[in-house]
Amino acid sequence: MTSAAATAVLTPAEMAIGTPLPTRRQEDWKWTDLRRRIETPYARGAGVADPSRVARLIAADPLAKLPLRRVVFVNGVLDRSHSDLTGLALKDGAPALAEAEWLAAMNTTLEAQPVTFTVSGTADRPLHLMFLTLADAPAAAGARVHIDVAEGASLQFIESHRGIGAYLANPALTIQLGKGARMDRAKLELEGAEATHLAVAELTLAADAVLRDFTLTSGAALNRQNGRITFAGEGADARVTGAYLLGGAQHADTRLVVDHQVPRCLSREVFKCVMDGDARGVFQGKVIVAPDAQKTDGKQSSHALLLSERAEFDAKPELEIYADDVVCGHGATSGDLDHDHMFYLMSRGIPQAEAKAMLIAAFVGEVFDGVDHEGLRDVLTAFAQNWLTAHKS
Amino acid sequence: MLDIKNLHVKLEDEGREILKGLTLSVKPGEVHAIMGPNGSGKSTLSYVLAGREGYEVTDGTATLKGEDLLALEPNERAAKGLFLAFQYPIEIPGVATMQFLKVALNAQRKARGEKELSVPEFMRLVKDKAQQLNVTQEMLKRPVNVGFSGGEKKRAEILQMAVLEPKLCILDETDSGLDIDALRVVAEGVNALRAPDRAMVVITHYQRLLDYIVPDVVHVMANGRIVRTGGKELARELEAKGYAEYVEAAE
Repeated sequence: MTSAAATAVLTPAEMAIGTPLPTRRQEDWKWTDLRRRIETPYARGAGVADPSRVARLIAADPLAKLPLRRVVFVNGVLDRSHSDLTGLALKDGAPALAEAEWLAAMNTTLEAQPVTFTVSGTADRPLHLMFLTLADAPAAAGARVHIDVAEGASLQFIESHRGIGAYLANPALTIQLGKGARMDRAKLELEGAEATHLAVAELTLAADAVLRDFTLTSGAALNRQNGRITFAGEGADARVTGAYLLGGAQHADTRLVVDHQVPRCLSREVFKCVMDGDARGVFQGKVIVAPDAQKTDGKQSSHALLLSERAEFDAKPELEIYADDVVCGHGATSGDLDHDHMFYLMSRGIPQAEAKAMLIAAFVGEVFDGVDHEGLRDVLTAFAQNWLTAHKS
Repeated sequence: MLDIKNLHVKLEDEGREILKGLTLSVKPGEVHAIMGPNGSGKSTLSYVLAGREGYEVTDGTATLKGEDLLALEPNERAAKGLFLAFQYPIEIPGVATMQFLKVALNAQRKARGEKELSVPEFMRLVKDKAQQLNVTQEMLKRPVNVGFSGGEKKRAEILQMAVLEPKLCILDETDSGLDIDALRVVAEGVNALRAPDRAMVVITHYQRLLDYIVPDVVHVMANGRIVRTGGKELARELEAKGYAEYVEAAE
């Protein structure tokens, strides 16, 4: 924390959460004024939720029908009664977060209860961590999960985030991929309409590890996701993708740092962002290549589809390269729906709304294609096709 | 079937008038060819009839089976039976050809109050018609027109036409970019769709296509109007003499 922030007078909301919030003067927070946007004095912790409400929320999950191993967190706390924990290597505690940042500090003051999963070999079913927040009064809940994927192990991992009420969810996730390990990670941010989602995800890859990472950002009034991928061993490969489907006055800001600390690693980032109404999307992607990290291959791109004249997208790509033998690049595009595409579809009899939905699904479909789990891919495709009608109703 | 009276159209953004009092009447079962030099307004006519944005109709009427075409959305015109085979079919990445065709057909059927086709019914329908037009299963698996050669795009257009079974087909420069073999396949596909209750308007710059799709009526279009109408022999005459005299006369 900067000294300026530490000595500033805390707002009632900051006092309630127990930590100062960043202002727009901080470079990473230029587009998201957390201090001004979080005005509600959220109570720390959302307490114990009614089990029948939890059960109803679980049943309504878009992934409920898929054969996944489900582990449920309610208001940031592991809910053993709704979770399938048999044969799962699970213990209390988690290592400290690597980056001392605002959202990490918040996770500490919210006294998230840390748990660690250890995965060895190949998991029998994909692991689905379902994070639910049910708040009757405005409340802030932190969750803290560490996943350790052992050398040579592989895991399909899905996390979903949903909830009811005016709450603030602050999940912090760390993942360690061992040598030659593989993870297919998919995150579905489908928080409630009044929610604030402030997430931290730190992933570290040992040598020859493979990461396939996808995030759908479509819930919450306010979303900020801090991601950090660290290459700690040579020959690792990470593809990080994301899709935004935002409408109304939604605001989502992803700050993703890909840190190549060692030679010969490959990173790809592709984000496809759809904004309608007054929504605003931000993508801040930073690729760091350390002086020793020769033969790094790192590329990032973000593409925005703006469905209304008031919608906005801001991209801030950054390359911080200290090695000389590398291939790195970035690109960003932004535009509205292609009028020729619309006319062609409509000229074949497809009504306007349906044609739009098809083109939106096609736009984000590029990143869905990289999702390994077929059932999940189908859920995502259906979600994108129905999104336009759903968010306007 | 199609009745156009004194149609005046200008470009919305630059205000330039493209169609200057065009009149045309096409009866069911007839095939009409519209020939003319570049810039005479042939493509504008096809786009205006299909409902593309960017044009302003300042005068005149266009009706399909008595119904005011110009008041309808492009998808409504399609459901009423209008089909435009594009001169440059649009590539749409990420939209699978089969899904596109199925959504289009069922949207039209729904608009007409007909029962929607099930997946197996639809698959059978497309498979038969695709075979006739030399459209491979592999092409159908690709996104709409993406990675298609010029000839493949035109065959795909005619396949769409065959599946959607329109009442009025407008073929805009369907021969452009085709070699003689591809032209033959496309023309056979079009001829197979000739029917007593279906009309066609074939827009072309060259007479060549009309050797394969033989029209009942040939129109010469110049400077935004039909300036001469005749039988199929008119096409040969144009091939021999060119459009010079019409261009001069129209200006």
